[in-house]
Amino acid sequence: MSDYDVIVIGAGCGGLSAGSQLARKGFKTLVIEQSDMVGGCCSTFEAQGYRFDLGASLIEDVEVINWCFERLGTTIYDEVELVECDPIYSVILKDGTRLTYPLSSEHTAREIGQIAPGDVMGWLKYGAYMQGFMDAALDGFFLAPGNTLVDMIKMFAKTPALLKYGPLFISSYQDIIEKYFKDPRIRESIGYQSFFGGLPPELCPGYIAMIPWSEHAGIYYSKGGMIGIPDALKRLGEKSGMQLKLNTEVKRLIVSNGRAAGVELQDGTEVTSDLVISDINAKTLYLDLIGEEHLPWLARIGIKSYEYSMATPMLYLGIDYEPPLAGHHTITTLPMDELNDFWWKDYKQGRFPVEQYSIISWSSGSSSGMAPDGHHVIVITLAPGAYRLEGKTWDQIKPELTQNIIDHLSKRCIPGLKDHVKYADFASPPDFEKRLKSPEGAIYALRQDLPSSLVFRPATRSKSIKKLYLVGASTHPGGGVPTTIASGMIAVDLIDKYE
Amino acid sequence: MRKILCLAGIITGVYFYTKLTKEKKRFIKEILRQVPYLIPRYFA
Repeated sequence: MSDYDVIVIGAGCGGLSAGSQLARKGFKTLVIEQSDMVGGCCSTFEAQGYRFDLGASLIEDVEVINWCFERLGTTIYDEVELVECDPIYSVILKDGTRLTYPLSSEHTAREIGQIAPGDVMGWLKYGAYMQGFMDAALDGFFLAPGNTLVDMIKMFAKTPALLKYGPLFISSYQDIIEKYFKDPRIRESIGYQSFFGGLPPELCPGYIAMIPWSEHAGIYYSKGGMIGIPDALKRLGEKSGMQLKLNTEVKRLIVSNGRAAGVELQDGTEVTSDLVISDINAKTLYLDLIGEEHLPWLARIGIKSYEYSMATPMLYLGIDYEPPLAGHHTITTLPMDELNDFWWKDYKQGRFPVEQYSIISWSSGSSSGMAPDGHHVIVITLAPGAYRLEGKTWDQIKPELTQNIIDHLSKRCIPGLKDHVKYADFASPPDFEKRLKSPEGAIYALRQDLPSSLVFRPATRSKSIKKLYLVGASTHPGGGVPTTIASGMIAVDLIDKYE
Repeated sequence: MRKILCLAGIITGVYFYTKLTKEKKRFIKEILRQVPYLIPRYFA
């Protein structure tokens, strides 16, 4: 007799999605989390009276997240106070041109028309094409298991409309953007979103080019901080009996006769279960917690071949004035060619320039209570940062880099910033590794190009270890808040089917 | 005959590859680089 029906390793959005659903189905569920809070990358921490979002700074595809809440007998709108972000972004191009993308796609067409009248038709054609893809993807992609070729065939059989969008899977993000938009400024204003897929425009799969359109269906901030979403899942799970242990690290996954049988904690305690769900990086799971000796040789080669996704250094600032920003998100960006060059000449070489792409999230502008009265919070997501820098360590460059970035942003887009910083904290890739136990600080666990996606991503239902399921960014459909929550739903569907 | 067709195929492929932009070449190279791992990854 096992101690639990299910043990979930990791209380990220994927782990909480699966754990809360299984608890509601009556499974005796234990969720084990190594840190002192839930949510993984989608979390919020407090420092000197300021509340900062650790990583994720907004959600889109809210309908996908809501499916999970509906399975829990409620809706996201009842459980989380969502603030709609309009405008979606204010984008500052390299030459100083500012574009504001409003939520309304018609108003966006008008905004594009003011800068590049020739691209208005491109926007409309792009929108019509991507809306079709989005409808097909929502219907057939997000909750479809990507375990086997049969799953893939079933996915396309269920939603044949997806076949029409095959070119998105064999083209790059840059190909798609250049197909619809001719003006370099418009291309620049939506080129950076390839990094939401974890890669520069020339390497990112074309289907990620859906994002600049799908955002117009609504992007939201969780009032009080992004932790509101995982907190709601935790609350609902606990209501159904789900147990959560924070500050508890798993040392080893117990494998008996090729089956997952529980976990051994760092203090040596063994906790047994009939099923194990992993919400941690798949390489860590298979190579460190399970051990190569339990893996078939082909799977061993496959697991070792995965590359970690990019890491993004973050700068958390508490300031004592209202920053002159246009909305929740301001982006400073570069032309797509320079983003590509950055990838090869800086990121891959271990360099981290100050003048680069960044996402500035003014969370206290969208939600009160994030900072003391008269103060504000801005979180800057910087361009991908290499885990190992050329010739120096992150700790060595942090103080100077922080000051240089603040100076740069003061000049480029937030006048006065440098005179109002009361709190500054720079989180490097090694910091994320330490805090989230995410190898190399990878934000999407594993690289997300075509050879690491769908059936080529670690399987939700493990093919090597029986009774083991994977959720989170490591498995299909990949990294991001809606997708990791969807991965929890896929795992629960597979458990329903096979266990 | 088969050898001629094969050679013609390779020459056509190389011709079209050389016509691609450097971005497209890198996109294809990155996929080709990972092709040997596709079968092992399928079993991961």
